[in-house]
Amino acid sequence: MQIRTLKDALSFGDLPASERIGFILFIIFCLIFPWIIKGGFAQAVMVQFLVFCLYGLGWNLIGGYGGQVALGQAKNVGMSAYTVALLMVRWDISFWASTPLGVIEATIESFILGYFLFRLRGHYFAIATIAVSLVWQQLFINWNFVGGARGIELPLREPPNFIYMRFDSDIYYHYFAFLLVMLAILYMNWFRKSKLGYQLRAITSNEDVAESLGINAHWVKVKAYCITGVFAGMGGAFYTVYYGYIDPFSVMHLELSIMIALMTMIGGAGSMWGPIIGAMILIPLDRYLGAWLGGRGIIGVDFMIYAMMVMIISAYEPRGIWGIIEKARRKR
Amino acid sequence: MEMLLSTTISALQMGLLFALVALGLAIIFGVMNIVNFAHGEFLMIGMYTAFLTATVLSVEPLLTLPIAAMVGFLLGIASYYMLIRYLLKGPMIAQLLGTFGLMIFLRYLAMCIFGPDYKTLEHGWLIGKSIKWGPVLLSYPRLGTAVLSLMAFGIIYWLMDYTRFGKALKATALDVEAASYMGIDTENMRGLAWGLGGATVGIAGALLMNFYYVFPTIGMLFCMIAFATVALGGFGSIKGAFLAGLIMGLIIDLGGTYVGPQYKLALVYLTFFLVVAIRPKGLFGW
Repeated sequence: MQIRTLKDALSFGDLPASERIGFILFIIFCLIFPWIIKGGFAQAVMVQFLVFCLYGLGWNLIGGYGGQVALGQAKNVGMSAYTVALLMVRWDISFWASTPLGVIEATIESFILGYFLFRLRGHYFAIATIAVSLVWQQLFINWNFVGGARGIELPLREPPNFIYMRFDSDIYYHYFAFLLVMLAILYMNWFRKSKLGYQLRAITSNEDVAESLGINAHWVKVKAYCITGVFAGMGGAFYTVYYGYIDPFSVMHLELSIMIALMTMIGGAGSMWGPIIGAMILIPLDRYLGAWLGGRGIIGVDFMIYAMMVMIISAYEPRGIWGIIEKARRKR
Repeated sequence: MEMLLSTTISALQMGLLFALVALGLAIIFGVMNIVNFAHGEFLMIGMYTAFLTATVLSVEPLLTLPIAAMVGFLLGIASYYMLIRYLLKGPMIAQLLGTFGLMIFLRYLAMCIFGPDYKTLEHGWLIGKSIKWGPVLLSYPRLGTAVLSLMAFGIIYWLMDYTRFGKALKATALDVEAASYMGIDTENMRGLAWGLGGATVGIAGALLMNFYYVFPTIGMLFCMIAFATVALGGFGSIKGAFLAGLIMGLIIDLGGTYVGPQYKLALVYLTFFLVVAIRPKGLFGW
């Protein structure tokens, strides 16, 4: 059984050759990137791209395969980031011991929330997740133990420090994030062939029919939401050590949740590579355009561009860029 | 006791405004089962319209109401014909994220044009004036807002229940196909529902401008309050929106006074959760 799982995760044999080649090119690109492009800004953008890939792959589970518009991803990221930061600052616990705790925390939080919120369907669910994340943000802004609105700063340590994950170069972070993304991709590769994956897709296409086939829709959705929490938790833990500073406006912000959802939607929700394509387009666009426009004192144009993209995509091709690619492929 | 009385009165005045904001959302949801995430941004645009006409053309703020209503109406119509029409064909996730995209677009458009500063109106017939009535201090802008909201509600109620247009709209809401067999142009009805929703929220924005400041991200706040209001009243119910708006006003103002101003919004969300958990269809929902 375990060997079967591993084989499922590692085998990309059922994908068309073009996708496999694309995937290999992606791996090669990520592996050699820090050695060919030395610019500090470009490397930082690349790390952010990988982190957002992680978030997006996680969100794709519930939002894409599950069809549930959960806009509270930021609070899972924030829960884990805060847990890790607090453990590292107040009790000097190493990154490797605090990260599992942070991830567990985010997962438990997802479980409890999912258990209650998945009694709601559709619009109600989406609004409820927004409300929850706004409440959490308010709570963390007013809660002094976690630093309130000022946030938490990790103490400086002598780099390179593998126990507390403190490095002076982005290369280390790059490979660590890449490792996490690869694990996430392998997991997703297993997931789409797993029982849970089929059950979730059945629920997306028609919940009532799925239930009549004996699928416990509520339980499946809660499980998927918990897995999403794990992904977000890992991302949050990484975020903490990468920036060395968190506050309720960076990790708990609704804008982060929105960004994750928009990105996945543009790339193609419910497809294997959608989140990665979305992140590949949106993150460099966001950072370079943001920096370029910010330097000229123009704010907001970048967000307007994503909003346009999302509106066009949701109106004409709800399956995103991946949907367009698949359509073109079928025509040929 | 006096404090309770004056808080309650100001809460009810505010509640009428919340009800008016929620009304547009309720109409749109009632007619085509789509949640407009950009509703708060419509309000923001109504406020900026009032602000701009009042300052640039130096028009009395109260007289900007028709202009704000017109802008809101056109905005609603335009969003229906340019976006929502296509979204309705897609899956629910596309509908949700599509209106979400509209919200972000409008918000950052405002950010781009007006900058992130807070803006208020300083001159007007009502602004800054108040009257002492027994132990209660009544502020003119809030009183005027309450009266005009009530009037707007009356008009919408009349429109919905006593005109052919209202009946056609209701028929479209109940069953699109049957309505189109009866010779109702359902496509236009849906567009008009968006226009009506936009117009009411535009009026609410122009009224709000009399005593509140405007900034590009104000939409989220009022949007969440409107969602909670509509959930409490029942999606699609006008009576429900009215009553729930008053209740919401009481919760926010009384909660803000007696629990603490920083917990105002938490109370709104708490109400929302309790409603969707206990009675998901709201007070008057169907």
